[in-house]
Amino acid sequence: MGRSYFVDEAVEEYLSGLQAAPGSCVTGLLAGQSSPQRDFVVLAVQTPHRESEGQLKAPKGVSPLDDIDVEWVTEHAKQVSRMLPGGLCVLGLFLVTPPELSKDAQNALKRLIFAVEKYIIKGRLWELSEEDVTDRVTLHICSKTKKLLCKTFDVKDPKSSAKPADWKYQTGISSSWPMLTCSVEVDLQIPVTGSSSDNTDKCMKDGLRRWAKQIEAAYCLINGRQALDDSELISGQVKTLSFLCHVDSTFELRHMFEQSELGERSSALVQVCSGSMRVRGVVHCRAYIHNNKPKARHAAQAIKRDIINTVCSRVEMFLEDLCINEGSQKGLCSGQQALPRRVFAPMPISGLSVCDYMFPDESTADVAERLKEMLDCETPEEDIDTIFSIISGFEITDSQDDDSSKHVSEIQAENPKIQKPPKYYAGKLF
Amino acid sequence: TVCDFIFRLKGILEFACQLDNPNGVQSQSTISKSFQDLRSKVTSKNIVFTVCNSPVLIWPNTGFQSSVESLTEASACGDILQWIESDDGGSKKSSKKKDKKKSGPTVVNMKLLFEVTEPAGNTAPSLIRVSTQQHCVKMPLPLDCALSVTTDERLETVCTGLVEALNKQLADMEEVVLQYRKGSSFLVPQPFHFQLPEPAGLITVVYPAGVPDSQLQAVREDLHRKFELPCDRPYLRRANAFHFPDAAYKDGYLRNPHIHLNPPNIEDAKLYLVQGVYSYHHYMQDHVDDNGWGCAYRSLQTICSWFQQQGYVETAVPTHTQIQQALVDVGDKEPRFVGSRQWIGSIEVQAVLNQLLGVTSKIMFVSQGSELATKGRELANHFQTEGTPVMIGGGVLAHTILGVVWSENTGQIRFLILDPHYTGGEDLQTITDKGWCGWKGPEFWDQNAYYNLCLPQRPKSI
Repeated sequence: MGRSYFVDEAVEEYLSGLQAAPGSCVTGLLAGQSSPQRDFVVLAVQTPHRESEGQLKAPKGVSPLDDIDVEWVTEHAKQVSRMLPGGLCVLGLFLVTPPELSKDAQNALKRLIFAVEKYIIKGRLWELSEEDVTDRVTLHICSKTKKLLCKTFDVKDPKSSAKPADWKYQTGISSSWPMLTCSVEVDLQIPVTGSSSDNTDKCMKDGLRRWAKQIEAAYCLINGRQALDDSELISGQVKTLSFLCHVDSTFELRHMFEQSELGERSSALVQVCSGSMRVRGVVHCRAYIHNNKPKARHAAQAIKRDIINTVCSRVEMFLEDLCINEGSQKGLCSGQQALPRRVFAPMPISGLSVCDYMFPDESTADVAERLKEMLDCETPEEDIDTIFSIISGFEITDSQDDDSSKHVSEIQAENPKIQKPPKYYAGKLF
Repeated sequence: TVCDFIFRLKGILEFACQLDNPNGVQSQSTISKSFQDLRSKVTSKNIVFTVCNSPVLIWPNTGFQSSVESLTEASACGDILQWIESDDGGSKKSSKKKDKKKSGPTVVNMKLLFEVTEPAGNTAPSLIRVSTQQHCVKMPLPLDCALSVTTDERLETVCTGLVEALNKQLADMEEVVLQYRKGSSFLVPQPFHFQLPEPAGLITVVYPAGVPDSQLQAVREDLHRKFELPCDRPYLRRANAFHFPDAAYKDGYLRNPHIHLNPPNIEDAKLYLVQGVYSYHHYMQDHVDDNGWGCAYRSLQTICSWFQQQGYVETAVPTHTQIQQALVDVGDKEPRFVGSRQWIGSIEVQAVLNQLLGVTSKIMFVSQGSELATKGRELANHFQTEGTPVMIGGGVLAHTILGVVWSENTGQIRFLILDPHYTGGEDLQTITDKGWCGWKGPEFWDQNAYYNLCLPQRPKSI
């Protein structure tokens, strides 16, 4: 008995609109949400064209399948993952091939899907739970007959073989999915030992990991009641969402002290550090949950993961950027710098949104370009929802609706639009 | 005033600070600033109390909000009980009803949480980097506040009281941390609760971890003065810490099984009992099969447990081997005594108490068991002034006397006996029902044998 994928009709439209040069292949991602009973696919995006940075690579393989740039596909998957709010993730891949390559397509898909999964989870600060679905979908499309072949692989088991799965189109899959939002205050003090940039990265990663555990262990209240059990979340009734964390802000300490008799640890932990880092501010989080009898605790899990992801992504991006700009100077200078801020934009499929991160010197035009490149969709700039916040005393303008936001913050008006090529985060990871 | 409830709030707050120079003048104010920040956190509106094993959540600093509609600030704090699920879903042994009335106040356990989704401001996230060398200090502050209240006390008053207690405890902790700090070496401040005689009631004292009681004498002297406590017996040693009624004793020994008994109803007689807490030691415990020879050793262990739990000594209750070794060490026995199954008597008990605990004892000799009935006055006096358990040996048996009911006028007497010959498990029901801890009349003693009693004396110390 295989899995069932319920796919939005807009995805069908997108896939049938794909054009592959004769004899060549098209790869792409499928995104949506998995639940134990069934899976929902709400987005398909072909792998963007890669700007080659040097001479064109001569086709090396015997077949176009060998020419698939695995590294680029996985990089694209990672970028797209960052753009998906909580509850949504990359569920699989599609591959369009000419009929003569259909037989070998399965092997190619299997290689790709494992590579993508491996790359996406690197640097992630939360672990999959037992309940998480680890099947990923591979969709093969014949460019001539348009026939679809849908299979799944269990990415937890490298030896797993393809299992058949159902692929069904439906309208408005996600049109009434409840959206959960919250703003979370973050204030992490992270000591830095050693002075190389690798050290800085490791310390930051350790500090974030401890914080992530605190978030995972936090009490989540939906409409004022704890979202612990299997009680169902009724769409349209989510009014408030809060997180209550245990007061000790490092999981490590609590773990240490609850395991042993209190009397055993009698003195403080002191480290001589070459400096410290502090991540501080308010992050806006968003998650979607399907409406096929969702459980409250799954909703809690989705938003918790979004909180962790958004902080982690911003810090990652910032440090990557620093590495490019400051080179080996990183770790030696001090000061306060803004982390990239989150903006939301409507997804090609109605009812949901995607997000992106803006550096202080960027504008919504840059965001629009990135959305075009990474998600293959046109987004009018005025639809990009910037939830701007205070920077040194300026007014807050904030909106959490997808459709609106003609709010132009004063900061926006003052910053000249700097024409820079959109950034492609080079993917340096911790 | 009997308090029906103790509200106990716990949470481990992290203390963190960065010191440029731990020995410099600045460091004290940096440390104080960190404590100040923690006090702000605790009085902020983001603090949440959760009642363990219940869906109840209370925001004490927002004009009292609770997650359960029927619990408002005007609710009596006793109303909280209906929301708490008990661990075992109700008492398993309904015949334990008579224990309920003696089990003391109900403890309501609460934990401290912090809401992170109501940010005070809306500042955009930023990364602040500092690149000077620093000492990064991290330490857990094990907050533990307890409030004794009556059942009709308003819930709001309880919560406000707990917030105040948190604040005060942080201030106390700051004092202890600063006082015992040496450069970048910090000692964890630990709170201990003590049940003092009225009007003081339940108080909390913060002691530095790792500093033994012997070095905290001056601190205790100050507190004894402050609370007007007698200066000849300990109230504030760590071992004297209040034992919360809902906490199990981790070592598994029963404490004070005698409190579950009703004293005999003798006309004109008064009750004189052991004071404080002891553990019941008896045959076969600790995987030692001493059936038939170890009774005096067990009685001695019971007495040692009393001195440990009243805070007079920090040494653990000695094993049979340690007891035997002590007797060899004082020259009372040959080395081959160690590991043997030889009996000991009151004189040996006295010697070991002296050797291992520094405790002196009086010996009372009775030439015939029938004479014990005439020792009412001496025993009554003993329990009134010293209040320690008494070991009695004679014939072929040793027992522990925990108290007497004695009439000065009629001379009638009954003895509260703790019997070390019990070989079963720590089952309170059996022990009380079958009289392993029970009231006996003068006929209990072998009327013809002679007896020695060892009456341990309290050291005069705090």
